[in-house]
Amino acid sequence: MRNFIFFLRLFIWFSLRDMRKHIGRALTVLLGIALGAAVFTSVRLSVNASLDSFTKSMDLIAGRADHVLTRPGGYVAEDLISELLNHPAIESASPVLSTYTRIAQDGAEPFLLVGFDPILDRPLRSWRIRAKSNPEAFVWLDLLKDPYTLILGESLATEFNSASGDVILLEHARQRSNFKVLGKLEREGLALAEGGRIAITDIATFQEFTGIFGKVDRIDLRLKPFATAKDLDDIRNILPEGITLNPPSTARESGQGMIRAYQLNLSILSFASLFVGMFLVYSLVALNAASRRPELAILRSTGASGYHLFFIFLAEGALFGVAGWLMAIPIGNFLIKYLLHGVSQTISTLFVRVQVETLTLDGWEILLSFSVTVFISVLAAYQPAREAMQVSPKEALEISQLGMRPRKSPRQLAMGGLICIVLVWPLSRLPAVLQMPLPGYLAILLLFVGFALLAPWALEQIGAFLSIKLRKLAGMPAYLASRHVRDSGTRTAVSVGALITAVALFTSLVIMIYSFRQTVEFWTHETIRGDLFLTTKMGDMNQFRYPIAQEVIENLQAFKDKVDIVPNRRFFLTYTNFPYEFELLDIKGFLKYASFFWLRGDPEIILPKLIRGEGVIVSEVFSNRTGLSAGDAFRAQVGESSIELPILGIVRDYRTRGGVVFYSLSHFKARYHETHWGGMRIFFKDRTQDLEAAVSNLRADIIEQMGDKVDMLSGQRLRGAVLRIFDETFAITTVLLLIALVIAALGIATTLTVLVLERSRQLNTLFAIGASFRQIRSMIFWEAAFLVVIGELAGVVCGFFLSYLLVFVVNRQSFGWTFLYGVDWGSLSISIPLIIITALAAALPAVKMVFRKPPATLLRER
Amino acid sequence: MELNKSQPMIAAKGLTRIYKLGGSEVIGINQVDLEIAAGELVILKGNSGSGKSTLLSLLAGLDRPTRGDLTVANHDLNQTSNSELTHFRRQVVGMIFQSFNLLPTLNVLENVCLPALLAGRSIAESRLKATDLLKWIGLDTRLNHLPAQLSGGEMQRTAIARALINDPSIILADEPTGNLDSHNGQIVIDLLAELNRKWGRTIMIATHSSLADSQATVKLFLKDGMITNHL
Repeated sequence: MRNFIFFLRLFIWFSLRDMRKHIGRALTVLLGIALGAAVFTSVRLSVNASLDSFTKSMDLIAGRADHVLTRPGGYVAEDLISELLNHPAIESASPVLSTYTRIAQDGAEPFLLVGFDPILDRPLRSWRIRAKSNPEAFVWLDLLKDPYTLILGESLATEFNSASGDVILLEHARQRSNFKVLGKLEREGLALAEGGRIAITDIATFQEFTGIFGKVDRIDLRLKPFATAKDLDDIRNILPEGITLNPPSTARESGQGMIRAYQLNLSILSFASLFVGMFLVYSLVALNAASRRPELAILRSTGASGYHLFFIFLAEGALFGVAGWLMAIPIGNFLIKYLLHGVSQTISTLFVRVQVETLTLDGWEILLSFSVTVFISVLAAYQPAREAMQVSPKEALEISQLGMRPRKSPRQLAMGGLICIVLVWPLSRLPAVLQMPLPGYLAILLLFVGFALLAPWALEQIGAFLSIKLRKLAGMPAYLASRHVRDSGTRTAVSVGALITAVALFTSLVIMIYSFRQTVEFWTHETIRGDLFLTTKMGDMNQFRYPIAQEVIENLQAFKDKVDIVPNRRFFLTYTNFPYEFELLDIKGFLKYASFFWLRGDPEIILPKLIRGEGVIVSEVFSNRTGLSAGDAFRAQVGESSIELPILGIVRDYRTRGGVVFYSLSHFKARYHETHWGGMRIFFKDRTQDLEAAVSNLRADIIEQMGDKVDMLSGQRLRGAVLRIFDETFAITTVLLLIALVIAALGIATTLTVLVLERSRQLNTLFAIGASFRQIRSMIFWEAAFLVVIGELAGVVCGFFLSYLLVFVVNRQSFGWTFLYGVDWGSLSISIPLIIITALAAALPAVKMVFRKPPATLLRER
Repeated sequence: MELNKSQPMIAAKGLTRIYKLGGSEVIGINQVDLEIAAGELVILKGNSGSGKSTLLSLLAGLDRPTRGDLTVANHDLNQTSNSELTHFRRQVVGMIFQSFNLLPTLNVLENVCLPALLAGRSIAESRLKATDLLKWIGLDTRLNHLPAQLSGGEMQRTAIARALINDPSIILADEPTGNLDSHNGQIVIDLLAELNRKWGRTIMIATHSSLADSQATVKLFLKDGMITNHL
């Protein structure tokens, strides 16, 4: 205990007081760490909030059910219930239907409507009714008895300003209907799902409202406590073909998988800011250890052991970590307000609907953020602490000039760096681990470390190479600067390493985002072709489960002289927990105006087969995730049909909710079972007219003819929306990148400032022997220019390597897709000089520091 | 360790220290044989580069000899491990440097306490001892001053107090008056002489100055790393 107290005292005397003297440097490092920690924590908390919201909703909706009966791509016959309830192992069974619907007014937000039998459902889900006048029992009896009645969740009741007895008009895929509000759900159980934006109605009302008679989405089961695996098999045996029996977690897990992949990528990106901050800590601790070397020798000569010095500097690193993390709290609070909304919107748009009500501070996430921040700060301080440990006490004497260890050549570090870089390729070839691109991320880390380790050697070589040439071209200041850079070894190289990392990230992400955007733009142009897209109301939200009404299809025939109609039907299925869409398409009609974006296979051979219904084509994502490729058999249960078809080829597709499999609509109907159109694309036959005006007119005509019964979106707007969503998704990435660059600039500023202060005696000696103020300041500026330009160039080179890893390894392993590699030379050629200018501007404080005190004073001082 | 009074305080035989500088070798000291009894005040004289500071660094345990035997206060400095040397520097030797070598972020009292705290003494005990020493040395009004606020003489006196805090058996001073004017230099020498006369400390002073000549009980002359005269 006494040793610990003494150590604390020594730390306060030696480290904290020195930090207080140089508070600006310490605050700069703390700001860097705080920014990194704030970004890392707020990103994770934001995504976690969405993940929690989704999981909670799914669990609340699943209730106490331990198994769920579904028919992939179809419905379950309602009459199965009586057979199930007669099974000795089944305690309860409840048929359930759910859909998104909304109030029939412009701009209304959709909400979840759940239909079930209130009596059968009671054992499975918790919900209670709050009604003003009637007792609860009467209310749900009314729900059973009176058609078109519903009970609202509290959020909805508040939003609609509805009370018992009010009537609201709801619209759905097929129709609009008035519903009478019977009461509100108490804020518990099922009422908490979907952020409270949920309503319940009787199953018969639901079926009438949606036009699904005698069928349900699923039957939730609860087994008796003594039920065994044999009972489960028994239950499976009584099920008709095509019905699956699974735990309710299956649906939840596939949604969670998508959110987690997104979370991992954002976490890694936000971790990069912390990683750059680590360089900042290393830089300052290393500079402290080096500049205070005489004091370290004094400590050693008075009896301090090497371990005392080691732990002092390790403690400095830990202090930066802890204090930086605490400083991150207000910054994180600020960031999270913007991130929470942005992230949940992105997840809802790209993956699954989430309704984030509040942010919960997860203790584990806070602990993770704290631990990671402190760990990397301590790790950053490790090497300087080890070097400090080796300070000899004899350095306290003036004769320490004799027998001093020769300056270490950075060659060893460079060898280490080369080894790291060489390992990048084999690592990147390894497959994903647990569907996470961990080898890919490790390869990225080694790439950064490799380039950072090469930096001192590169500085030495470039400094040596350029020094004579620079003396001729730019005079003595440039020469001295290059010599100093050559001899400064690891001290300046650390800040260069930070700049390399930040610039590499910037460059690689500019390339990746550009490549991705170009590819997506091409895909939308080729594959998301259509002048007008037509679906049922809220079709996308309800996963296109409700076909377009026959009367709508018949009414549209009136326009056949002007337009070609290309119908489709989509089924949302899973392939062992991996979600994908099985899209039936009028292939011939599609190919008249659009095309697939081929990745593998010869379209000239494949397309005729596809048109003849001889096989399917799958998306790259589907192929990468399932391991199925051209030549393999595609098998699926779609409604009442079991499908087995060969895979003919692979196409690029950038839908975000899993993979896609395409098949001919007409051949599906002929071969398997009747199915109706879920949506359509409309193309004008006359391509020479003003298509925008034509679309507008057609929309008006359709509404005039059949009323507002369908959702319509012009192709131009749809394609624009895809790209807008893309840009919004990567807005977060851009912000994270800029933060990393700011941290790197802070590193440059800190390093140069400290180096100038350390060398004040040297610089003033130069002055004393004839150098002018201008020449000395010019020398410092040249040094800054060296560090920044070398860091930038190395960063750009590293960035190109990194971009390959991101495009062809990380994206493929995270999301299953790759894209066409392209370089945005325009953006790079503007941004790279801008970064140089910014980093040089960060060097200005150091230049100003040079003659803070009169030279004579400094030369006289000891 | 209890000193054996019959044994010399310092015993060196064939003591040699060679430094490697790039490809060449520089001889710090060469085949030095030396015996100093306890309680002596030794002056070490010689020109720059004669090996005075090298010899002191070996005696202080700051460096290790290349060859030869060296025993200081019954500690065989050839055979000691690094941790034993650390202990030696704490407890056995008090070192005074030409450039004072005070820690700039510690005040006078803290600088003096530091070796005692390193030796494991409590803060209270260390403060008490340090205060007494500083009072004796005439710096009791400067306890809370930082080194930057002291004159050269005050800094060196602080360094002397620091060197004494753990009651070392031997005090080694490397050019203690080198950065002082003659008045302050004399004060420092008188303090060291008093330590030797009154308290029987063994003191070795490496110096160019003649201020300590009259106080010395032993004079050693070094040239080119070897003792040329022993008076």
